[in-house]
Amino acid sequence: MTPGTQFAAAGGVVARVLRFAVPLILLSALGFVPLADLGANATKVLFLTCLSIGASVAWNILGGFTGQPSFGFAVFYGLGAYTSALCINGGVNPYLSYPLAAGIAALASLLIGLPTFRLRGPYFAIATIGVSEAVRVVMTNLAFTGGASGYRITEQVPFRQLEHYYTGLALAALAVVISMLVRYSRFGLGLRAIRDDQEAAADSGVNPYVSKLAAHAVAAALTGATGGVYARYAAFISPDGVFAFQRSVAILLMPIIGGVNTIWGPVLGGGVYGVIEEELTARFPEFHLLLYGALVILIILFEPGGLMGLLGRMRRLVLRLRVGSWQPS
Amino acid sequence: MTFADYLNLVISAVLLAGTYAAVAVGMTIIYGVMKIVNLAHAGFLMLGAYFVYEVHERAGLHPLLGVALAFPAFYFLGILVHWALGRGIPVSDEPTLPSLLLMFGLWLVLQNLGYLVWGTSDRSILTPMTFATLRYGEITIPKIGLVVFICAVLSLAALEFVLHKTWFGRAVRALIQNRYACRIVGVHVQRTARMTFGLGIAFAGAAGGLLALLYPFSPDFGRPFLLRSFVIIVLGGLESFSGVFLGALILALVETFSILAIPSSYQPAISFSLLVVALVVLPGGVAGVIARKRRLA
Repeated sequence: MTPGTQFAAAGGVVARVLRFAVPLILLSALGFVPLADLGANATKVLFLTCLSIGASVAWNILGGFTGQPSFGFAVFYGLGAYTSALCINGGVNPYLSYPLAAGIAALASLLIGLPTFRLRGPYFAIATIGVSEAVRVVMTNLAFTGGASGYRITEQVPFRQLEHYYTGLALAALAVVISMLVRYSRFGLGLRAIRDDQEAAADSGVNPYVSKLAAHAVAAALTGATGGVYARYAAFISPDGVFAFQRSVAILLMPIIGGVNTIWGPVLGGGVYGVIEEELTARFPEFHLLLYGALVILIILFEPGGLMGLLGRMRRLVLRLRVGSWQPS
Repeated sequence: MTFADYLNLVISAVLLAGTYAAVAVGMTIIYGVMKIVNLAHAGFLMLGAYFVYEVHERAGLHPLLGVALAFPAFYFLGILVHWALGRGIPVSDEPTLPSLLLMFGLWLVLQNLGYLVWGTSDRSILTPMTFATLRYGEITIPKIGLVVFICAVLSLAALEFVLHKTWFGRAVRALIQNRYACRIVGVHVQRTARMTFGLGIAFAGAAGGLLALLYPFSPDFGRPFLLRSFVIIVLGGLESFSGVFLGALILALVETFSILAIPSSYQPAISFSLLVVALVVLPGGVAGVIARKRRLA
């Protein structure tokens, strides 16, 4: 064994350990961030970033692992938000309202998935554009949630930002854990098989229809809970906010930027998006989506793995350079 | 409601159907040949509307002339886009995730370029025809609707001619049926695909121009028509051109007559409901049902 290959082997082990350890360390570090007393605004950005990560990871379970991109996750986000809002105003404990929000969103996902997953091809993706539009229209006209003028949440407790922050962080962590469980389970392998070749998956005993429905439900439930957490923080929600097509677009963009079909890609994408979103929206209110659109085109054309793919490429480059310098001449 | 009222509704539905068919056909042809769901269709519809608007406002040309000009302009735009994004949109047997997302990204870019150039406010193209009507007793026909309908039908007839009487058209239809067999008999797949993409975009642009004569538009103009196009394609059975007419007619009739039963604020939800019904009841589209009947008979 030459020193070069030895080093490469050691580097592989180190890299593997680092790959699992670094994100976990970073994530737990987020738990201590508020102790640094960043001020209300920075904490808010971090809180929203956590929610972004939650939704992004959820989208990836369906769009990445299963290969079924959805343009309508705002439906679940919005339904979760409204469910939570109605529950909290009805006197339900907020923490109990999040599972309810998740349940309603999962139910809605079945309603969307039952007809559209029956067929292969692009039906699902396109139908989701229609779903988000239809639901937004219905919510705009629904009387008991205030219709287009929105819905206000009144809670008889003082506003504690840190509580919200930790709720968001817990949700993001839960999303990552669920995503890992799905990824490495038998169920997740089935999803991956469907993504690669649906017919071969069906021949090996995976039921594509049921698996897609289940993945959709898991993703929707997580997104719904995220919407619920957001609603409690925002204390005011409206169809044009939580059900907006922009919201669906944002939830779709994050995992693509970070890298679909990986555990940490959507986390990275959600993190980056959450941190820069506010700044971008403030600076380029009308065309920040132009940048995202161009980014999507560039990613698909040149680095389908997103940021994760880019990182992997850089890591390989560094390793190759280091190994190269060790090679005996 | 009197009989004349019903007749008026049917007439407006048929006029609408012609326009819808022109809107959907660009998406159908691209899907048929390349199996790409062209989400950027909405963006090109919007660009077509603004193209005709600019031609009308700046150059003072008649909007219909603008629509005619949109054909070559958007054909070359489509060729250009295909050339630029070519490696991301291969000709494949079934829709791929990257191509779908790529076209989505393109749509975002086009839409927000629209916002950048033209702002958020609604524009409209007004001509002396816009509010004129033709009256025959109790039956009234909006003049602009009739003109747009005639233009749409003429362009679709031209497309039918091209598809059935030229070698390019034969190559396109052959590609829709079987890509591998095409290679064997000497169809230049990549070139045909590029021209098809151009043609699809040309129709999107021209149809957008026609729509601009009927409705006010903003950079977000295309989205409802994107879904409608897809409903039409699904109703028509994805790859058939005669299906497009049928699908457009069904959608237009449902939309027009639903006004009687459903409050107009729920209108945008109709096309989606129709899509779900179509998916559940007739997955092969209306054309598929007819074909099945014919096979059985």
